[in-house]
Amino acid sequence: MRDYIKHPFWQAVGLLLIAYLVIVFVIPLLPGSAIVPKSVVLQYMATVLVGVLIWVSDDEARWTRFKEPLHEVLIQPRLKLVRNGLLAAVTLIVGCLTYSQVKASVAAPPNLRSIHPAPPSQITFRGTTITLVGLENPLRKQGEMAPHVAEGRRIYYQNCVPCHGDHLDGQGHFASGFNPLPANFQDNGTIAQLTESFVFWRIAKGGPGLPREGTPWNSAMPAWEDFLTENEIWSVVLFLYDQTGWKPRTWEVTGSQESGAGGGHE
Amino acid sequence: MAMPGWKTRLTDRQRRDVLAYIKTFSSFFADTTQRPEPIKFSSAPGGGSNAEALKVGRQFYDSIGCRKCHGDQGRGDGPSAPTLKDDAQHPIFAANLHENWRFNGGGTVEDIYHRLRTGLDGTPMPSFSDLIDNKFLTDEQLWRVAQYVRSLSPKEAPVVRDVIHAPLAKTLPHAPDDSAWTAVDVYWFPLVGQVIRKERWFAPAVTGVWVKAVHTADSIAVRVVWDDRSESPDTAWLGYIGRVLATLDSDDSTREQPALWPDQLTVQFPVSIPTGMERPYFLMGSSSAPVYQWRWTSSARGTATAGLARGIDRFDPLANGGVNAQAVFDHGQWRVVFSRALASADTASQLPFRTGRAIPVAFFAWDGSNGEHGTRMAVSTWYFLALDEPVPARVFISPVLAMVLTLGLGMLVVWRAQQKTSYRR
Repeated sequence: MRDYIKHPFWQAVGLLLIAYLVIVFVIPLLPGSAIVPKSVVLQYMATVLVGVLIWVSDDEARWTRFKEPLHEVLIQPRLKLVRNGLLAAVTLIVGCLTYSQVKASVAAPPNLRSIHPAPPSQITFRGTTITLVGLENPLRKQGEMAPHVAEGRRIYYQNCVPCHGDHLDGQGHFASGFNPLPANFQDNGTIAQLTESFVFWRIAKGGPGLPREGTPWNSAMPAWEDFLTENEIWSVVLFLYDQTGWKPRTWEVTGSQESGAGGGHE
Repeated sequence: MAMPGWKTRLTDRQRRDVLAYIKTFSSFFADTTQRPEPIKFSSAPGGGSNAEALKVGRQFYDSIGCRKCHGDQGRGDGPSAPTLKDDAQHPIFAANLHENWRFNGGGTVEDIYHRLRTGLDGTPMPSFSDLIDNKFLTDEQLWRVAQYVRSLSPKEAPVVRDVIHAPLAKTLPHAPDDSAWTAVDVYWFPLVGQVIRKERWFAPAVTGVWVKAVHTADSIAVRVVWDDRSESPDTAWLGYIGRVLATLDSDDSTREQPALWPDQLTVQFPVSIPTGMERPYFLMGSSSAPVYQWRWTSSARGTATAGLARGIDRFDPLANGGVNAQAVFDHGQWRVVFSRALASADTASQLPFRTGRAIPVAFFAWDGSNGEHGTRMAVSTWYFLALDEPVPARVFISPVLAMVLTLGLGMLVVWRAQQKTSYRR
């Protein structure tokens, strides 16, 4: 046993094994991390392998000893069984890998969706034109915020909760039925990145009002202009920011349209 | 409304504080001098999944009256089911015991046992602890009931797989209970309330569909199975429908009289297989981009109507639909097989099915005895159907070639190494 521990070949094998176990089983346990995808595991393992090879070949004596077991397997008559077994195993693995590469299997087509597509500069809301560029939430200039937020909360719980959830995290009881999943307002990638006018546009026009890059045919977001008034939508917007603690993005003083566009792809 | 899990969001202390606060809502806890004895739960007896234990469980499932509400096969379709009301006098369904992932009190054997001991406050689900006190059954026998109930649901909650693979078969199974279906892979898709267009529907009865599909060289059959507590139209449920309609908010729905609506199911495809990413609107298309649908209703269960939907409120049947249907209702479950030729004469409006392509598909369901009709339905988003092709022989050429090469190379390396060594010797 001690011979094995000291032997560079078995040390290299051990290092690779430990690295694999850490990547596959330990990393997912760390707080805030997830299961490592197979392709990434492959990349990590390749990196580790290169590192190990550099280490064993770094020293001439170590390199010679490292090669010994490999050489033994190739030539030793008593290792004939191991030799033939390895040959057969490698051949079979190559066969299986090639087969899985070439066999045709229909998969769902990739769904490339722009999460925050560029908003139009103006929209028609129940017949009246609203200019989105530079638009602020009008309720923020109308007295106390508390009643507006309370109104937004009432509307949210009457309408939004089945999909966006009690916790505003997009995990309502209907969420699993839809793809794309309902937006998670607690996440720093949704309302935290957007101006209130953008959120107003998304609520007012819903899925059907998305531009083509937003895959409007998949979105289950209703066009809320059919259900809510302008002020009701603004109060919900206020509630979303108030409840999550995010601050809406504001328009630059120069009023460039870029600042409201958000951006980013799935 | 969905109760989220608070374990990760509140600390143990915070949860206990909320508990203490909630108890102030009820006069039941007002007298704090009382120290009620908590029920001590035993732990589950072993062997819960063997046939003998399940037989005992089933026997007491019948004798303590579970089947009166939950039904003979446990799908919430018992004779008392249409009469159930919660404490607020609202209509309430008996739980479908085949969907343990949806149980209000949790879906493990322990959860079910606890619910049998305590009942579910606010609902008609009673506590059965008194039956143990009366020696009607033993604690172990109540555990057997819990184990039997658990055995009705799958081991794991179903997981959505996006693509339904329809294998190639020699003959098409037209009957819903044809034994040929048993060998076909099943796919589950959740359905949720239609809350997008007026009139919205927040309490759909159908929670999901189990789908299988096969095809031959010239035809396709799709089997859709879903749990439904009633074979609508059923007059026994008329009172229930009335109570459901009474709960509806008048600003979203127009008042209507209860009627004996049928159960319905719709399978939806695009008019043609899309080449790019773009598809028609999942909620029954639009006037500019219609969808191709197969509509089945329980009032004409041996047929299906093919047609084009141009939005949620417009459906135009096609003259020569060419879609057949066979349906079975069995203890709270519909099983419907749709079939059609792969090719279609009218390629402009009737999707021609082709093998080896991802064909978008969606499902819609209505439970008439839950007051569902029109826009009040359960909906799904787009998924895919793929008609698998037989594996062509050429697919095996490259793996075989790769294997021969690898083996040859390996043998060469071994041979060279051995040559060199013997040379040195």
